[in-house]
Amino acid sequence: MMTPLYKYGFFGEEFSLLVAFVLGLGFGFFLERAGFGSARKLAAQFYLYDMSVFKVMFTAIVTGMLGVTYLGWIGWLDLDLVYLVPTFLGPQIVGGLVLGVGFVVGGYCPGTSVAALATGRIDALVYALGIFTGTFAYAEVYPSIKDLVNANPMGQVTLPEVFGLPWGLVVFAVVVIAVVGFWGATKIELWAGSRP
Amino acid sequence: MNPRPGSPYLNPYLAGIGLGLVLLAAFVIMGRGLGASGAFSSTLSWLVDLVAPAHAQANEYMSEYLGDGSTHPLKAWLVFEVVGVAAGALLSGILAGRAHLAIEKGPRVSTAVRLLCAFLGGGLMAFGAHLARGCTSGQALTGGALLNLGSWAFMLMVFVGGYAAAWFFRWQWR
Amino acid sequence: MNLRQFTLNRKLAMLAVALGTLALLAQPHRGPFVKLDARELASVVEEEVDHVTASELATWIVEGRADYRLLDLRTAEGYAAYHIPTAENVPLTGLADYPLLRNEKLVLYSEGGIHSAQAWMLLRAQGYEAVYMVLGGLDAWKDEVLFPSLPADADAAARAQFERATQVAKFFGGEARVAGGAAPPTVGAELPKLAAPPPMPAPATPIAKKKKKEGC
Repeated sequence: MMTPLYKYGFFGEEFSLLVAFVLGLGFGFFLERAGFGSARKLAAQFYLYDMSVFKVMFTAIVTGMLGVTYLGWIGWLDLDLVYLVPTFLGPQIVGGLVLGVGFVVGGYCPGTSVAALATGRIDALVYALGIFTGTFAYAEVYPSIKDLVNANPMGQVTLPEVFGLPWGLVVFAVVVIAVVGFWGATKIELWAGSRP
Repeated sequence: MNPRPGSPYLNPYLAGIGLGLVLLAAFVIMGRGLGASGAFSSTLSWLVDLVAPAHAQANEYMSEYLGDGSTHPLKAWLVFEVVGVAAGALLSGILAGRAHLAIEKGPRVSTAVRLLCAFLGGGLMAFGAHLARGCTSGQALTGGALLNLGSWAFMLMVFVGGYAAAWFFRWQWR
Repeated sequence: MNLRQFTLNRKLAMLAVALGTLALLAQPHRGPFVKLDARELASVVEEEVDHVTASELATWIVEGRADYRLLDLRTAEGYAAYHIPTAENVPLTGLADYPLLRNEKLVLYSEGGIHSAQAWMLLRAQGYEAVYMVLGGLDAWKDEVLFPSLPADADAAARAQFERATQVAKFFGGEARVAGGAAPPTVGAELPKLAAPPPMPAPATPIAKKKKKEGC
């Protein structure tokens, strides 16, 4: 099967921009449906009384993961042609920490901030301005921190490759962890909600 | 300041499946996943290029998003995607009665402080996202589904960072 | 088992676990294996739409066309000694991992034509549609483009063509051979030095300066 369609030349760059918009529509729609246009709901994840962020994110990951696994297996998707962001372990670990803090301080992540400001949240608009400022600051200091930014380059590498495990086994493990996690998350919500 | 509640939110698992299917569509149609932070980089680079082109083009980071000038920096996949995100969110919000001007904040914090925190949070987030080559949309969702090592490490640390900081900022939300 | 008794969430969980368990057997990556449509490839070869001549390529470069990628399949040493301007060096073994878009137009050359023919087959098998070999490879490039010659009994049309070829040769740092003159040089020493690249009207966009396309 000749997918990903774009990589097999079914359409050009101009059309791909339209595709981007349509995919974005779906993305934004479900983000808002889940309530992620609200900083309070997003931040609640980190106070344990609403674990929706965890539930939505991991359900999406499991869905996507099972999707590519099955489509790749039956030959309906050339998984080798799907872009994998290269791993830079150190910077990505530090970046994750910083992003986590930013999440709690600001109440959004870049994608959800767009969803929120589209539905009128002024704090999301201010947050987006903060992103612009932060990006500018990053661009300015980038030349001096370039070596740190590009530390631990590991190329495009997946969990199965790193642990030397079959792809299917890792998929199974992720599904099990997710389902157990969801059960646990619901329990935590009940416990946190019942506290004063 | 907080918005009136609209319709109840969608079951998180169903919302997650919806998101996952959109993600899958991106893989199958484009051979790439979703994202958000890159759109901010493109837009910022374009803005700086408008007011100080020499500086923007000389800047190593921004020049990557400006390219060689043959295409407009805003004609970037992520920019169009993010515009779609806004439109899709607005549509959902209108349908659910959740679209109105408001400021999300906890009961104990003032509006001014909340907005200041939003700004700082955004700035921090930008640094984190650019260091990690993506944010929760691009790295966690996309890379997560593809079992990307860096993405999973990143995702784990986002939760660690968030929970670590939660205690110190509880006055903002509770 | 009556499914009605389970809530939606429970059903979703069971579905996930079922799919996850079945996935234990999955092998989604194609790996190094490819599928060949023998009949299709044979007809492409027969229709001769699988190659371009060295002269055609030379014209494209002079015109500054940037809608294709030129790949030099030889070793790094060969590439460093001399390569056709605007070519990228991709040894045959590295071809499978080289970042190429399936919808890009690829033009291949090697020393003669064997390696480029083999690479053509491999690339076509992996789904690249617009792949072309330079007929005769670098040998033909030297013969037709760098050091064009005019047979003694050439007619007016051939002479006019030779005049053009002479200009093109100069553009690439070569020169036309005297009619019926010495055999073309075979060693690298006579090949044009690459230190001063020919002035090209609109150079093909170097990869480094292309806008960041993938990633988030």
